[in-house]
Parts: sequence; structure tokens; C-alpha cells
Amino acid sequence: MKGGIDFHVHPVLIREMIARYPELERAYREVFYCGNALQPLETLLLEMDLVGIDRAVVVPIDASTSRGATVYTNEQIAELCSMSDRLIGFASVDPHQASAADTLAKSVQELGLRGLKLHPGIQEFYADDRSVYPIYECANDLEIPILFHAGMSWEPRSRLKYGQPLRFEDVAADFPGLKIVLAHLAWPWVVEAVALALKYSNVYLDTSALFFDNPNDFLHYAMTQQVPLTVFERSLRHQIVFGSDNPRIEIKSMARAVRRLGFSDDCLELIFRSNAETLLGE
Amino acid sequence: MIFKFERIEIVSRKEFEMIDITPKLDDLVSRSGVHEGIVLATTGHTSSSLLVTEGVECLERDIPEHLERIAPKNPPDGSYGWYHNRYLDFDGRLGYNAGDHLKSILGGIQCFFPIDQGQIVFGGRQRVYFVEYDGPLARTVFLQVIGQ
Repeated sequence: MKGGIDFHVHPVLIREMIARYPELERAYREVFYCGNALQPLETLLLEMDLVGIDRAVVVPIDASTSRGATVYTNEQIAELCSMSDRLIGFASVDPHQASAADTLAKSVQELGLRGLKLHPGIQEFYADDRSVYPIYECANDLEIPILFHAGMSWEPRSRLKYGQPLRFEDVAADFPGLKIVLAHLAWPWVVEAVALALKYSNVYLDTSALFFDNPNDFLHYAMTQQVPLTVFERSLRHQIVFGSDNPRIEIKSMARAVRRLGFSDDCLELIFRSNAETLLGE
Repeated sequence: MIFKFERIEIVSRKEFEMIDITPKLDDLVSRSGVHEGIVLATTGHTSSSLLVTEGVECLERDIPEHLERIAPKNPPDGSYGWYHNRYLDFDGRLGYNAGDHLKSILGGIQCFFPIDQGQIVFGGRQRVYFVEYDGPLARTVFLQVIGQ
């Protein structure tokens, strides 16, 4: 398969960026909580090549208020994207700052970023808090998607309560034109996340779920046993996007696991490419 | 006595890959000024190996494939699988490369050769390979020359 898109990559291990911005190392170690060794951008692109992924969405997390740090600023994401035309940059904004919507608009219009990443667990806010609605109104006006972390969080200070799928229902209902992606299948609340996606056509799910065992066994459990595969194939095939959550999960391992699940070729094409293109307005 | 130590970086471009690093050892020995001694090479990674074998493309395919059959990445059927397939809090991610660690153990992580008259003494067909089991990744190999 050619032309695939990984909709969920955290570029925290990119050595070239850490060399330019040493403060990023503390942010990714202590806020994003990742212990792996730094790697050159080249190896990320090579790993994408291994499994037919042409482009990757790279996301920052602005946790200025909750953690006193940003895991990449929007400007740094734009700089990273200038190193390879295979990277698609998203913005992040601090939901506790009144200027968040303005920051988002500037990041899209001036930096060329193409979506918004929000992590309620790390950023410590509830997605249905009316105080953050101006951010959604701005994203809606800009016609960009929002990738929400949903479900379980690994970071020690990140609470699961912020990731419960029903906290996203008001957003889906109140902004029917806004496309939102619930990451990680919102595991362990896969059934609830699927219910939202069934009810709201603007709710998408990404595949980046791995919380025990290995990618093959975990996705088999979540996408055939927690919810039958036929539900994804028949009812949600236009609302599932491939995401790896790299570096928490290797792109190669997650891509292979998704392809082993038993989806039709048409559905795999939607998951790996077409649905992401729709979200990106392509 | 001369001690010369270097780290070299190797970027693997495939998941399984054998990369001939013999010229790197030759280069270090020639620059070290050592005429009689030993050269040691050690991979700094537990999902890779250093192996010595004949330098032919067919073996570069056979060896990783054989090791994958013995220690596969996916857990074997009929067991509890790999216990390494769990959340590793020190990494912030799950371990999904138990088979690659096992391949590293089977292949070994070091090799050394004698130096005589300023050159490494190899058998007629011996080459030194860095063997990647979990690429593509940037890897580090430690080289040490000891002698006089």
C-alpha cells in the first residue's frame, strides 16, 4: 500500500530538534514521559517507508499552565515540518489561556499548521468545559480537525478522568461541522467511543491503542472482541484513521497490526489514507 | 601501551539488516599507531548483534531470517507469549521486541581480533557485521584498540 498517513506522531525523539532546543528534552522526558534514545529524523522516515506510510501528522502539546512546559511549540513544529515535506504539522494551545483561540488562528494562518492537538489529561481540562469553547469555534471557523487524546494516559500525573469519551459528546453535538478525532480508541472505553462515532458523523477514532500485550493481540482484543470488527468495517469505515502514537508504539508494528485485523482492502484504504485526507481537507 | 577508543554511529535502513563494519575497524587500527595488540568491537544495544561471517549477500539474508525463526518478534503460539510485552515505565512504552533481545543474545554483542604488524588478522573470508534486529534506527558501536 502506498500513500498512507499516520495521523498521530509525537516527534519527541527527533535529535536535530533537541540539538536546537535542549529544553525539549526535559519536556519530553518529564511531561510526555518517554525514555527512549534520541533518533535522527531520517530513521522516522525510514520506518514510515517500511510500511507504506508516506506522511505523518506531528503534534505538540502546550502544557504551559498545567506543567510549565510545552512539548514542542507551534513554531518548533513548523520548523520541524520545514525539514521534510512528509510531515504535517498540528498546533497545540493552552486551554487555560484566554489567548488560546488567537494563538490557534495565528498558528494556522501564519505557520501553516493544519490541525489542533489537545491532551485533556496532560493539559488538565475537560473537553466539554464551556470555557474552552472559543477554541472549538476557532477551529470550526478555520475548518481544521482536532485530535484529542482520549482514554487511558500513561503519564504519571495525567488523570484518566479527563479522557472519558462522554466528555467529548457536547463538543461533537454543539459543533457538528467540527471534525474531532478521539485517539487511542479511547481505550478502555472503546464501546462508549464507538457509540459516539455511530451517533455523530463528525467523530473519528484513531487506531493508536496499545496498553498491554502487543499490537497484534491488543488491537485484536479492542477491535474484534470489545467491539466486533464488522462494526468498524460496516458502520465506521469512514471514521477510522490510522495512528501509531509513535514513539509510544512503533509505526511499523501498529501498521502491521491494523492490517492483520481482517478489514477489507477498501476499508484499509480508507483507514490508512482517504479518511485522513478528508480530515485534512485534501 | 596505546589505548584508543571510539564510538561510531551506524544507521540501519531496514528492520533486519547486516551491515559490514570491517572498514571501520581497519580505519581505527590504522590511525591508532598500534602494531601489536587487539581490537574489540561492542554494540551498545540489546536488540542488535556483532557477528563474524563470510561477506556474501546470501548470508546477509539467511542469518537474520534464521535468527527470526528461532526467536520471533511475535510471541510463539501455545504459551503466555513474551513477558517483555508489557508496559515499561522507564521507557514510557510497551516492550514489543523480546524476540529481538533474544536474537541479540544468540548472536552475541562483541567480537575481537588480533593485530599484527599494524593490521587486523582476519581469516580469509571473515567480515565483521553489525546486525540490526529492530530497525531502522541510529545505533552506536564501541571500538577499542589496545596494544603497542
